[in-house]
Amino acid sequence: MILAIEDLTVSHGEKKIVDKVSLTIDKGEWFALVGQSGSGKTMLSQAIGQLLGTNLRASGRIMYQGDNVLEYPKEKMNQLRGKAISYIFQDYHGSFTPFLTIQQHMEEYLQTHGVHQKTQRKEMMKEAMESVGLEASFAKRYSFQLSGGQLQRASIALALLLEPDILIADEATTALDSVSAHRILSLLQDLQQKKGCAILFITHDWRHVVRYSDKIAVMKDGKIIETGTKQKLVHQPEHAYTKQLIQAAPTLPMRIREVSKS
Amino acid sequence: MTVIEIHNLKKSYNPGKLAVNDVSLTIQKGESLGLVGESGCGKSTLARCLLGVEKMDDGSIVYNDAPIAHANRKQLRNYRRNVQTVFQNPTASLNPKLKIKDSLIDPYLQFKDDLQLKHFHFTSKQDFVQQLLETVELPKELADRYPHELSGGQKQRVTIARAISIEPNLIVLDEPTASLDVLSQGAILELLGSLQQTLGMSYLFISHDLAAVYQLCQRIAVMRDGELLDMFRKEDIYHTSRHDYTKELIDIF
Ligand SMILES: Nc1ncnc2c1ncn2[C@@H]1O[C@H](COP(=O)(O)OP(=O)(O)O)[C@@H](O)[C@H]1O
Ligand SMILES: Nc1ncnc2c1ncn2[C@@H]1O[C@H](COP(=O)(O)OP(=O)(O)O)[C@@H](O)[C@H]1O
Ligand SMILES: [Mg+2]
Ligand SMILES: [Mg+2]
Repeated sequence: MILAIEDLTVSHGEKKIVDKVSLTIDKGEWFALVGQSGSGKTMLSQAIGQLLGTNLRASGRIMYQGDNVLEYPKEKMNQLRGKAISYIFQDYHGSFTPFLTIQQHMEEYLQTHGVHQKTQRKEMMKEAMESVGLEASFAKRYSFQLSGGQLQRASIALALLLEPDILIADEATTALDSVSAHRILSLLQDLQQKKGCAILFITHDWRHVVRYSDKIAVMKDGKIIETGTKQKLVHQPEHAYTKQLIQAAPTLPMRIREVSKS
Repeated sequence: MTVIEIHNLKKSYNPGKLAVNDVSLTIQKGESLGLVGESGCGKSTLARCLLGVEKMDDGSIVYNDAPIAHANRKQLRNYRRNVQTVFQNPTASLNPKLKIKDSLIDPYLQFKDDLQLKHFHFTSKQDFVQQLLETVELPKELADRYPHELSGGQKQRVTIARAISIEPNLIVLDEPTASLDVLSQGAILELLGSLQQTLGMSYLFISHDLAAVYQLCQRIAVMRDGELLDMFRKEDIYHTSRHDYTKELIDIF
């Protein structure tokens, strides 16, 4: 187990946006959190890295290496973020400052996390760009000079720079078309297998869930209503809402494809 | 019978690069044609040229056997009435200052002198609005609300109701579910399918999602980098003659 969320509640005044959620993420696994928009997925994921707005309050426990990181002081959490837990978001533009190049972002990131040797930083950056299939020259560009798919690759490179134990991907491909989304997700799968990090994969698209995840939790109105292995949830979903989510995502007919392949 | 023909359409925004490169296609009466491809491949440009909101560089569009380029005012008006649109973002498509009932009735008021509706029969404007809401499975109370009081899925139903209200021959649907929540996406696809059954109009359904296109359409056209690469009937999707790029798209789902 790499991360255990226990009775996590996120409240906005009296309103419970995340309501007593518990889940555990194992080392190196692809854990999908699925639900309609507004179900509380983002709030749950932001509570993990203390990224919630000041008007929201998180209670319960988020256990990482024996510590409840909800109780970490801000500075300690800042160190953990990036090194142990990192994020990529739907709004990949938001991961970059417009007046810094990709390279400058990486430089800064490595420096704040204690990589002081310039040659080492250079080597790490080069490797990171390569690993996400971006030409090294892209590092000299500003974020607005990259396409959506390229920018999300760059943000993955940044997020994986320090080999975190867990990567939180919050609707990371929702803003992309299905082809670019698929390329990004297969890239992420390759990197995950190479580096062994766990992924908390937040999405509303059941097709991505089916294709990539090991374990699935379905969230509705702030609660986890069903959780289990992919095998279990895909083939024997219990909750009507899970079935609804499966139904809503269009798919190509499977049987004919199998026939034409043989 | 053919509703519309596009011949050798070319459109470029920047010298040296064609956003739409020599694309020809036809849409039959009552059929739903899917246009699928990655973002930036030229789908929306093609749609905008078809709708006449973008000027094409070369090629022609033929409606009712007459090239649009040579159409007189009456023919153009007839074209505008018969080719309706539903876009990705319903919020941008609805006037925020108009009540839903006024948005709904607007195309009818615009074209009522030329209209002979076959499906909708009504006794008053209010009756018509109620029928339209019912057709897209929305509660009647929404008539007196403003767009901001509706969910994204409800707003998209309103723009669909508005598009069908004047019984066009063709509706151009440009990523109509892309900005919606998953459950609304599925529901809108189903609604579009059943409306076509009852009203019999044609669709040009544009999407990057091959599985969504497959669900709604009888024929599928595949674009890449401005070019039309592949065109096939739904049942031939797994046929060996499919373009390699189509196979790549298929493998995603
Ligand atoms: N900063 C905030 N303050 C108060 N309520 C919020 C805030 N952010 C989100 N919410 C509310 O919390 C609920 C869950 O939101 P979110 O976690 O973003 O859902 P999801 O990511 O599943 O779409 C929504 O009802 C949303 O309106
Ligand atoms: N108004 C415009 N001005 C300049 N370039 C444009 C404009 N609209 C689209 N393009 C470019 O034309 C190409 C096709 O775009 P578009 O038709 O929107 O593709 P799609 O709808 O398939 O995503 C893209 O390279 C896009 O950047
Ligand atoms: Mg979210
Ligand atoms: Mg488009």
